[in-house]
Amino acid sequence: MSAISELSSISRRKGKATAEEKKANGRDNKAAYIFLLPWLVGLVAITIGPMLMSLYLSFTDYNLLQPPEWTGLDNFTRMLSDARLHNSLRVTFTYVFVGVPLQLAVALLIALVLDKGLRGLPFYRSVFYLPSLLGGSVAVAILWKQIFGTTGLVNQVLAMFGIQGPGWISDPSTALGSIILLHVWTFGAPMIIFLAGLRQIPVMYYEAAKVDGASTLQQFRRITMPMLSPIIFFNLVLQIIGSFQSFTQAFIVSGGNGGPSDSTMFFTLYLYQKGFGQFDMGYASAMAWFLLVIIGVFTAINFIASKYWVFYDD
Amino acid sequence: MPLFSRPASAARRGAAEATSARAGRRLRRAGAVAAAAAVVLALSACGGGAAPQSADGKVELRFSWWGGDKRAQLTQAAIAAFEAENPNIKIKPEFGDWSGYWDKLATQVAANDAPDIIQMDEKYITEYSSRGALLDLSKYDIDTSKFDEAALNAGKSEDGLTGIAAGINAATILANPAVFKAAGVELPDDSKWTWEDFERIAAEVTAKSPKGTYGAAAYGTDEASLGVWLRQNGKSLYTSDGKLGFEPGDIAEWWAFLKELSEKKAVPSASEVVEAEAAPLDQSGLATGKNGLAFWWSNQLPALEKAAGGELQILRFPSKTGTSADAKLWYKASQFWSASSRTKHPEETAKFINFLANNTKAGETLLADRGVYPNSDVRAAIEPKLTPADIKVVKFIDQIKGELGEAPAPPPKGAGAIQEIVKRYTSEVLFNRLSTEEAGKKAVDEMKSAISS
Repeated sequence: MSAISELSSISRRKGKATAEEKKANGRDNKAAYIFLLPWLVGLVAITIGPMLMSLYLSFTDYNLLQPPEWTGLDNFTRMLSDARLHNSLRVTFTYVFVGVPLQLAVALLIALVLDKGLRGLPFYRSVFYLPSLLGGSVAVAILWKQIFGTTGLVNQVLAMFGIQGPGWISDPSTALGSIILLHVWTFGAPMIIFLAGLRQIPVMYYEAAKVDGASTLQQFRRITMPMLSPIIFFNLVLQIIGSFQSFTQAFIVSGGNGGPSDSTMFFTLYLYQKGFGQFDMGYASAMAWFLLVIIGVFTAINFIASKYWVFYDD
Repeated sequence: MPLFSRPASAARRGAAEATSARAGRRLRRAGAVAAAAAVVLALSACGGGAAPQSADGKVELRFSWWGGDKRAQLTQAAIAAFEAENPNIKIKPEFGDWSGYWDKLATQVAANDAPDIIQMDEKYITEYSSRGALLDLSKYDIDTSKFDEAALNAGKSEDGLTGIAAGINAATILANPAVFKAAGVELPDDSKWTWEDFERIAAEVTAKSPKGTYGAAAYGTDEASLGVWLRQNGKSLYTSDGKLGFEPGDIAEWWAFLKELSEKKAVPSASEVVEAEAAPLDQSGLATGKNGLAFWWSNQLPALEKAAGGELQILRFPSKTGTSADAKLWYKASQFWSASSRTKHPEETAKFINFLANNTKAGETLLADRGVYPNSDVRAAIEPKLTPADIKVVKFIDQIKGELGEAPAPPPKGAGAIQEIVKRYTSEVLFNRLSTEEAGKKAVDEMKSAISS
């Protein structure tokens, strides 16, 4: 907030600037643009350019080997009757709407525990953050595969209790659950943010509540939750956007095919398969834009809904 | 270059919009600089396509293949032999696993950055050659006079000679004698075994082996074994006019037998089958002693023996009747040497392919890793150099020569997608999520649309 108000005050001042000041500003601006240049080049060449290209390709039949051919809305109408695409949407939505709330709940819980003034907090914070650094990586996905294999660690432990576990990641009924678990396990990033948010809540509120005889649960509901709601909202938006785009874990765990039986066929994975496996880059581009619309819609819903539950202190 | 001109002009457009604000000329200049930088960046990204000719006049060619460590070592040795003979040509190798190979190749071709020499598979050669991505090698100086005719024809199409067969292969069942010995079961006699024998023997091995070891690996994770099954039933994977050569009922029968094998525990459980799919060659069930029998190409035997650390045995496929001529095997071009149609050095590229195909020195390093040499002179010349494993492969290929079925029709455009479809519906069937009939119908529908588009 403060940065924005500062900016606006600068612009207000600028209105009455003298010629000399303008000159100085101009020099500043030039320097700013030069410093911005690397970022700008990256934005244009690596983000905006390819995006516009893919928007164009989404209206074409493009097999990578020959020049694209304009086909209008053909790719989009094909999406309506593509059963595998519908399945991939189902998988992705399940992942997002089960995985994100679970992950945030775990992150909040751990943050609350750590916030209680534990000795050696920096150590625990690092330990809990570690999975976030590793979770998206190829190595951990491979490890996950081993742990949850038919003869993996989990089933060996279960076997000690006489339980014959399924092949967690190779059985269509449990494969997606295993990947969601991997996602939940990477709760570190939202946890750190929650922890910072908790630190911001003035202690006096709790002290006052205690004097009035509020229980811990009441304190949590009436003080912590409202005060933390902007942080929860922030995490929710980021995690939902990220989860819709998630790719690596499913790609590695399923060996790139979204198997078994398409049970971990994420939207992004199907997009990749269509584009690079089946030479259907036009269709894949159309899918990418469809995903962008989905993410946009859910982010908008998020922002609209936030008016009813997010509480800003200032 | 059309791929990259767009972002640059878009950048200019984006910059122009920003100028509509007060900031004026200065920003416009900055925008122009940004756009120019974007163009430079885009051009340099494109640079891989330009002729890489180093200062000392050497021609550099890029050569890509898929395969494991053993193949990499052998191929590097062949490259060294070529470079020794041709000091002006430098070959830069690029290699990786099968699974990532095709994604990478498609992207490289799209970016106009294809390697000069490409190891090609029959599943994809029509895809690439019909779209003009491969060079017609008949126009260059490559000697094919000593070539096995069927192997040579496999690389020909209406687009010319776009692939030179690197080796001859056959679909086989490999047996791990150690597993049989531990179970106290005799190895089958492959000259007269039937599918019933296969089922009975595999189930017996499983029953007499420790938990987790199975008599046979499951088929159904690639289309080669489906091809054998269809041929034995008078059908084929593809017809010569590029259509699917079988009906939903045919593939349903194939799955029904697989389910029977699974119920009798002749093959691993559904979950284990899915896990095995992802394992690389040296961690496969056959190499790790978890399977007594498994479905492989003949040229993979040496690499598998190395991984297993013991001898393996090549068997013919079982047949319906118990006579080996009814196994309906065929010679397959294991892989092809192809060249990018956009290579800047077609002469040198052809020279290298000619070396790989016809030079004894290449043969002496590559041996039988990519299958038996299609050039009969090279095949004879390298015989003394072959390892015992290679000799087994060559012997098997010679042995089945008289009992082959007719050559199968080449896979049509889009055939690269078939394996994935087969795999997916095999697991639908094994996990009892679809009946064999339903799976047959759906799979055939998907395959038809994959090869017609």
